[in-house]
Amino acid sequence: MTVMSPDQPAENFRRIEIRDLEPEGLGKLSEDMKLSLSIEDMIEIQLYYASEMRREPTDVELECIAQTWSEHCKHRIFGARIEHCGPDGEEVINGLFKTYIKEVTERIMETKPGFVLGCFVDNAGFIKLDDNQAVCLKVETHNHPSAIEPYAGANTGLGGVIRDILGAGKGAKPIASCDIFCFGPPDIDSGDIQADDVIHPLGIMRGVVRGVRDYGNRMGIPTISGAVQFDPSYIYNPLVFCGTAGVIPIDDIDKQMRGGLKIIAVGGRTGRDGLKGATFSSMALDTDSHEADQQAVQIGNPIEEKKAADFVLDARRGGLVVFITDCGAGGFSSAAGEMLSEVGGNLYLDRAPLKEPGMTSWEIFLSESQERMVLAVEESALPELRELAETYETELTDIGESDHSGILKVWHDGELVCELDNSRLHDAPVRQMSSEFVLESGSPGEGLDCADLVGELGALLSDFAVCSREPIIREYDHEVQGNTVLKPLAGASGDAPQDASVVRIDGSDQLMAMGLALLPEWGKSDPRAMGRATVDECMRSLVVAGANPDRIALLDNFCVGNPDNSRELGMLVETCKGIAEAAEAYGAPFVSGKDSFYNYFETEQGAVSIPTTCLISGMGIVEEQSHVTGASIRKPGSLLAVVGCSGPDMGGSVYARIKGVFGGQVPHLEPVAAMNSYRGVHQAISRGLILAAHDISEGGLAVAAAEMGFSLQAGLEIDLDALPAKGSPEVVARLFGEAPSRILIELDEASLSQLEELFNKTDFAVIGSTSSDHSRLRFTERGESVLDAELVALKEQWKNGLKHYY
Amino acid sequence: MEERPKALLLKFPGTNCDSETARALEAAGFVAEVLPISRANETVLEAAHLVVFSGGFSYGDYVMAGRLAQLEAERKLGDSLMRFRDNGGYLLGICNGFQILTKLGFLPRGSLINNTSGRFICRWAGLKREVSGNPFLKGLPESFELPVAHAEGRFIAPDGDAQDYLGRGLVALTYTSDINGSSSAIAGLADETGRVLGLMPHPERFLWASNHYDPDWRGDGSEWGWGYMMFKSIHDTIAAEIAGHSP
Repeated sequence: MTVMSPDQPAENFRRIEIRDLEPEGLGKLSEDMKLSLSIEDMIEIQLYYASEMRREPTDVELECIAQTWSEHCKHRIFGARIEHCGPDGEEVINGLFKTYIKEVTERIMETKPGFVLGCFVDNAGFIKLDDNQAVCLKVETHNHPSAIEPYAGANTGLGGVIRDILGAGKGAKPIASCDIFCFGPPDIDSGDIQADDVIHPLGIMRGVVRGVRDYGNRMGIPTISGAVQFDPSYIYNPLVFCGTAGVIPIDDIDKQMRGGLKIIAVGGRTGRDGLKGATFSSMALDTDSHEADQQAVQIGNPIEEKKAADFVLDARRGGLVVFITDCGAGGFSSAAGEMLSEVGGNLYLDRAPLKEPGMTSWEIFLSESQERMVLAVEESALPELRELAETYETELTDIGESDHSGILKVWHDGELVCELDNSRLHDAPVRQMSSEFVLESGSPGEGLDCADLVGELGALLSDFAVCSREPIIREYDHEVQGNTVLKPLAGASGDAPQDASVVRIDGSDQLMAMGLALLPEWGKSDPRAMGRATVDECMRSLVVAGANPDRIALLDNFCVGNPDNSRELGMLVETCKGIAEAAEAYGAPFVSGKDSFYNYFETEQGAVSIPTTCLISGMGIVEEQSHVTGASIRKPGSLLAVVGCSGPDMGGSVYARIKGVFGGQVPHLEPVAAMNSYRGVHQAISRGLILAAHDISEGGLAVAAAEMGFSLQAGLEIDLDALPAKGSPEVVARLFGEAPSRILIELDEASLSQLEELFNKTDFAVIGSTSSDHSRLRFTERGESVLDAELVALKEQWKNGLKHYY
Repeated sequence: MEERPKALLLKFPGTNCDSETARALEAAGFVAEVLPISRANETVLEAAHLVVFSGGFSYGDYVMAGRLAQLEAERKLGDSLMRFRDNGGYLLGICNGFQILTKLGFLPRGSLINNTSGRFICRWAGLKREVSGNPFLKGLPESFELPVAHAEGRFIAPDGDAQDYLGRGLVALTYTSDINGSSSAIAGLADETGRVLGLMPHPERFLWASNHYDPDWRGDGSEWGWGYMMFKSIHDTIAAEIAGHSP
C-alpha cells in the first residue's frame, strides 16, 4: 500500500480490498493505515463487509470505524471482561465501568431521586442546583499531545473540554475550569532522561501552564481549581487533566435527535491539524512519536471558540437548538456518528469550510481541527441562526440533514464515500483480559525518626507536593465572570491555600464548589486504599468549603500505563474497587469520567509506565452564601479542634517519601464514620459554628496547621496529646501522618458545646487555640514543646518551593 | 418614574467581561445593553449616557492589545464616539477597554505594554485615588482595593509625561505597590474633562463584599464591594444630570 501525497489527492477516496486478506494481512493493513485496530477487530470488520455490505470498504469507512472503536472513544478496556486475581481471590469482572462505576451510581441515584439529572450519556454529568438550573462537569486528559507539544497540547486540552460543556445538553454555559498536572520533577538533571527528544519537565510545565492560561483567560472562564504532582515516573509521559463546569436550565438538558433537521457546523474551519488524534492517544509514546505524530496535535484559537460559544449560548437561549455536540476526537465523524447513526442522514463534505485545499474525504471527515460545534436545527430556524452567526462573526455552514433511513451517508463532490448502517455494524468485540495484584504488607514507621522537626516541617512545606502553586495560579484569571467567592488563594493575606473553590451562579441563591484529589503515591503500594482515600479527600475538600455532603457528585479520571501488563491492569482493577466502595459509602454518584491508557514510554532501557493515577474531581452544592468557609485562621482567641482520627501508618505520605522510606502501610479509611463526621461538619457550618476549616492531607496535621496560619492573623498552639488517635502514633506520625477523613477547624469558644453535640467523642477534640501573644506555630507533647516555628518563616519556605522553577 | 441612565457596552470578538460588567451597571441603576460591534453603526450611541469598553481579549490581542478593536471601532462608529464625548457623554474602559480607549486616543498619550514580570497576573491590588471629584470615583475612599488580571497592564508614557499627567490631575488611580512596572504606578487615567476613565483593575469583579478574598472584609458595612461604589458614582452623576435637565 502506498500513502498518497497529501497535497494532491488523485481522488477523494479509495476502496480498500480486505475481503481476501489473511489475518496477518489485516494486521499489517491496520498498522500501515495507523488504525490502531487489533486483528480481531479487523476480522469483525471484514465479516461485516463480506456478509452485510457485500462490498469492499472505503478508506473513509475504515478510518471512521477505527475512530469509533478506538480506546479513546470506546473505552474498550473499561468494557473488557477481566479475569482478575487479587486480595479478594479469583474473579471475573464483566466490565470495570459497569461494575464499579455505572452500577454504583445507579444504586445511589435510587436513594437520591432528582439529584442526578444526567450521567454517562451526554458530554458531561448534570446535577440539580435548584428548581430551575443544573450544573455539570467534565474532565478530560490531553497527555500525549502535551508530551510532544506542551503548549498546544494543553491549550487544546482545555479548549476541548470547554466545548464538551458547550455541547452538553442543548449548550451549557462554562463557568469554571480546573487543571491537574503530573510532571517529572522540575529539578531533574537532563542527563538522567533516558530517551531522545523527551522534553525536560521544566519545559513541559511552562508550556502546559501557558497553554491552559492562554485558552482559559481568553475564553473568559475562570480557572479556579487545580493540582500539580511531581514524580520521576511522569518524566516521559506527563499527565494533563483539564476540566470545565457549566450551568444550564434544567429544561435544556434533554436533547433528542430526529429526522428532518438541518445539520450545521459552527466555528473554526477544518484542516489537516489533528488528524488521527483519537487513535494516536490510544498508542504508547516513543521517540518517534515526537517526530511522526506532530500532525495529531491540533492548533488552538480561543477567540474562534469564544465567538462560537457566544453564538451557541444565544442560540440555546433563543430555543433554536434541537441537538448539539462538539467536534472532539474523531471530528465530524464522531459528531455525525452521535447525531446521525441512529436516525440516519446525509453529510456533504464538500460544503465544509476548509483551512487548506486538496483535503481528501477521510481527512475532512476525521480531522480534529479545533473550535467546531455541530448542531441539528429546524430548517425554519436557519435565518435567525445565520443572523446570530453574523452578530458574533462566526462561520455557520449547512453541512447536511437528518432523515429516517437509519443509515449515515457521507458525500464528497457527489460521490458516496461512506455508508454505514449502525444497526448492522456490531459494537467492537469485547476484549478478554487478565489481571493480577498482590498486596504486599507494609511496615509502619521505620526510618522515620527525626531530631529536627522544625527543619522537617520546612522541608515538607517547600516540597513540590505541598508548596504554594501561586506562581501558576496567578497566571490564570480565576476571577473573570466576577463570581469566584472562595478563591484558590485567599484568607486575610490573600495568598493562603484553600481546599476547594466556590463560585456563585447567576440566577440562583445556591453556589457550586469544585474540588479534586489524587494520591498516586498511595497507589504504588495499595491502589485500593488509594481509590478510597482519593474519593475521601475530594469529598472532604468540598465539605470544608461549605458544600452539603449529600449533594456532591464525582468524576473519575484514570490514567494507566500499559493495560496489557497484567499487574498494571490489576492495579487499575483494585483502584476501581476502592473508588466504588468509598463512593457508595458516601452516597456520591459518579456522573462522568474518562480513561487514558498506554501512558508509557519506550526508552532504550525499556518501557517506563506512569503509576496508576486516579483523579477524583467533584462538584458540590453550597446551599447558601453564608456556608462558604475558608481554610485560613480568622482571629486570635479562637479554639482549634480536629475532626477525625489520627493513626500510626505513614505509607504513601510525603514525609516518608522525603525520608526515602517506601512501601509502608498506608492509613486505613472508614468511610461510614467519615461520612457521619462530614455531615456533622456541614451541620456546624450551616449553623455558623465554624470560622475556618482545612482538610488534613499531604504533610499531615503540621502542614495543615501551618497553612491555616498563613493568613498571619494569629499564632497557633496545639497540644498533640489531645489529638484523637488510634494505635498510639509516634510524634512524627501525629505531626506528619496522612490518615484520611480529618479536618482541622477554627471555632469560637462559645460554639464549642453545640459542636460537641454534633460529633462522636472519639472523633472530635479541641487540640489548641489561636493566640495574639505571638505569631508562631507551636506543638507541645506532655507539656513540652516539640515544634516551635515562626509562621512568617514557614510561609516563606512554602511560597518559594516552586518559585525558582516557574 | 425617573429615567434610568443608559449604558451601552460595546462587545468585540474576544471581549469576555461583558456579562458581569452589564450586571454591575444594572445593579448600580443603569439600563445596560451589550452590543456586538458587528451590529454597531454611527447612530447607536445616540440614546446612551455612558459607553463602556469592558475587559477581555478583543480579537485575541494577538497584535498590540486593543489595536484591532480600535480599528474596528473607528470603522463602525466613525467620529460618533468623539461627538458623543464632546456632547457630554461618559466613557469607561476597563482592562482591555482601557487599552482600547488609549489606542483610540481618548486618554492621555501612552501605551499599555507587557508587565515587567512578562507574565499574566491575577491578584488584588491596593489603589490610591489621586483625584477628587472624578465622576466615576467620587464615592470611593482615598485608598481601596480591586482585583487586577492582565498581561499587558504596564502603562508607559513618553519621557516625563507620566509625572506631568500626575501634576495635571489626569492620573485617576495609582497602585499602592509596583505590580506591573507602570510609570508612576499608574493604574487608571482620566481625560481633561474627567468624563473619560480608563483603568486596568476590574471594578465589576468586586460588586459584592463576598467577592473579597478576606472573609472578614467589611468595607463600608454594606453588602457591596468597592467596585459597586464606582458604578454607583457614575450612575448618580448621570442621574443627577438627567434630573437637572428635566422640566
